[in-house]
Amino acid sequence: MAQVPVQTIHRDPQLFYWILFPITIVMILTGVLRHYATVLMASDPKRVDQKTMREQRALLHGINVRGNHHVLSQSSFVTRRDALIAAYESGAYLKDPENRGQPPPNPMSDPNAMEGMMGMMKNQMATIIPNTLIMSWVNAFFSGYVIMKLPFPLTIKFKSMLQAGVATKDMDPRWMSSISWYFLCIFGLQSVFNFLLGSDNAANQMSQQMTQMGPQAGQMFGPGVDPNKQFLAEAENLAVVEHHSVLDGVEQRLLEGIKV
Amino acid sequence: MASSVLYPPTQRSPAGALALSQQAPAILRSSPSTVSSSPLNALLSGSEKSEMWLQYENLILSCLRTGDDQAAHQCLKRLVARFGTDNERVQALMGLVKEAEANNNGELEDVLKGYGEILSENDTNVPIAKRRIALLRSMGRLADAASALVQFLDFSPTDPEAWSELSDIYLSQGLYPQAIYAIEEVLVLAPNAWNVCNPTIPRNLSPMLMHLSQIHARLGELQYMAATAPGVANGSSQKYLAEAIKRFSRSIELCDDYLRGYYGLLLVSKKLLNDGAKATKQPEDSEFALPDTSTIERLNELATAKLSEIARHSASHDRGWRGYSEAEVAAARELLAVGESAVKR
Repeated sequence: MAQVPVQTIHRDPQLFYWILFPITIVMILTGVLRHYATVLMASDPKRVDQKTMREQRALLHGINVRGNHHVLSQSSFVTRRDALIAAYESGAYLKDPENRGQPPPNPMSDPNAMEGMMGMMKNQMATIIPNTLIMSWVNAFFSGYVIMKLPFPLTIKFKSMLQAGVATKDMDPRWMSSISWYFLCIFGLQSVFNFLLGSDNAANQMSQQMTQMGPQAGQMFGPGVDPNKQFLAEAENLAVVEHHSVLDGVEQRLLEGIKV
Repeated sequence: MASSVLYPPTQRSPAGALALSQQAPAILRSSPSTVSSSPLNALLSGSEKSEMWLQYENLILSCLRTGDDQAAHQCLKRLVARFGTDNERVQALMGLVKEAEANNNGELEDVLKGYGEILSENDTNVPIAKRRIALLRSMGRLADAASALVQFLDFSPTDPEAWSELSDIYLSQGLYPQAIYAIEEVLVLAPNAWNVCNPTIPRNLSPMLMHLSQIHARLGELQYMAATAPGVANGSSQKYLAEAIKRFSRSIELCDDYLRGYYGLLLVSKKLLNDGAKATKQPEDSEFALPDTSTIERLNELATAKLSEIARHSASHDRGWRGYSEAEVAAARELLAVGESAVKR
């Protein structure tokens, strides 16, 4: 079988200096800027008043008792369980007991909730605006031609990714266009930002998206959740716990396990 | 060396604290006195490390302990320069330094009043609330400290540190059942701690005494103390002893060669064996029955063997057997000696 001739395209070597480097540098600088913008815009964690804290921690306490019931003896667990269930069902830990049983207020009207949403909006904006700007800048100035050849072979599937904006069917996927370089920068600059700004930086939007998709820990006490219902559910959970203790038969385990 | 500065110093021996505070000038010299927050500097000099602030915090505690107020003030100044006086932890540290420098009760009262003012502005300032309780306790107002702690735990029942402090206060007042209840709460919140003072949770690290340590063994000790306290009915005393023996066994199960665990096990089993003659019948409803006599004997043998092994090895400074506290090993030896003389007789 005949060797497929190696494609060569004669490019101006200046392309390298006037496109590749500018895009990279601009990307890094925007990342750094975004980091500092996020730091500046970050609002202080809002202060929790004592009643809210009491409500939240009382619930957590119940969850802890339920999760770690095995360290307690039967009688101490039963006393705790009964006390907690009684308090939960009577609403003793609620922030405002008179609102019990009423539907939760509209999260939109709660100023605290609005603040949280504004924070999220700000973060989203800090991601979207620079991305749109840079992408249109790259598209306007550098689209329509290839700028470099990757030093390793690739399969045909990469064509759509690496040669976005260059509609040439037969070109080897190793050739890549400027918009592809832009995408590579988006995904690949995380380590550079880690090096420059420390590991918990806000420069890379990828990590932000990850955290947004992940499970939200704050959701438990978030706006729009009725704490009374949470308490009732937790009381039920506590009531059905089948108690066993680590102390059951521990001497036997010890005598069997440890040989002198 | 530097890493030892990162651990909370409440568990440290006086000698260790002295050694640490003697390093203070070197540490203060080696790290920059101010950290610029300007982006350019951060790019050039690398970002600040959170370890450094932890280091300063622990240095303050050690230096105050050893009377090096000057170094403590320097550390505090840097913390204030970085975090401002509004920061809750910094506020607590400032209060701590003031407490340490107070010469008489009147000045302590002033500090206490200051805490009260801070708390009236922001009643969820946890470090200051804890500081206030600790100050009340160290001023000898135990009842006030206990009631303040109970109040604190009402709105923050998930704080193991506070529970353990409450248990300690109750214990010093001789209220064993309350102390046991409080330490059980600690266990619920930190279920697998046998002797761990976890250095990775500095979130709550306040200058208040922090002993998350020895929970199971500690509970066993409490049960033992409750059982041997005068005026305890025989039935409930046996209940306490039965749980004590289980708690000590559990602490050994979690940590092999745990000296305190074996010590307690030996103590309790010996007491049970001595009392064995007059052991009353167990009430039916007791959940933890005393193990039968042969099991107690075997446990006694095991504890004796292990304790003498530990004592022997640490006397000859064997590799792998270091790290036992001198006082604990000495106490173990004493207990063993008592046992031997009893056998000879």
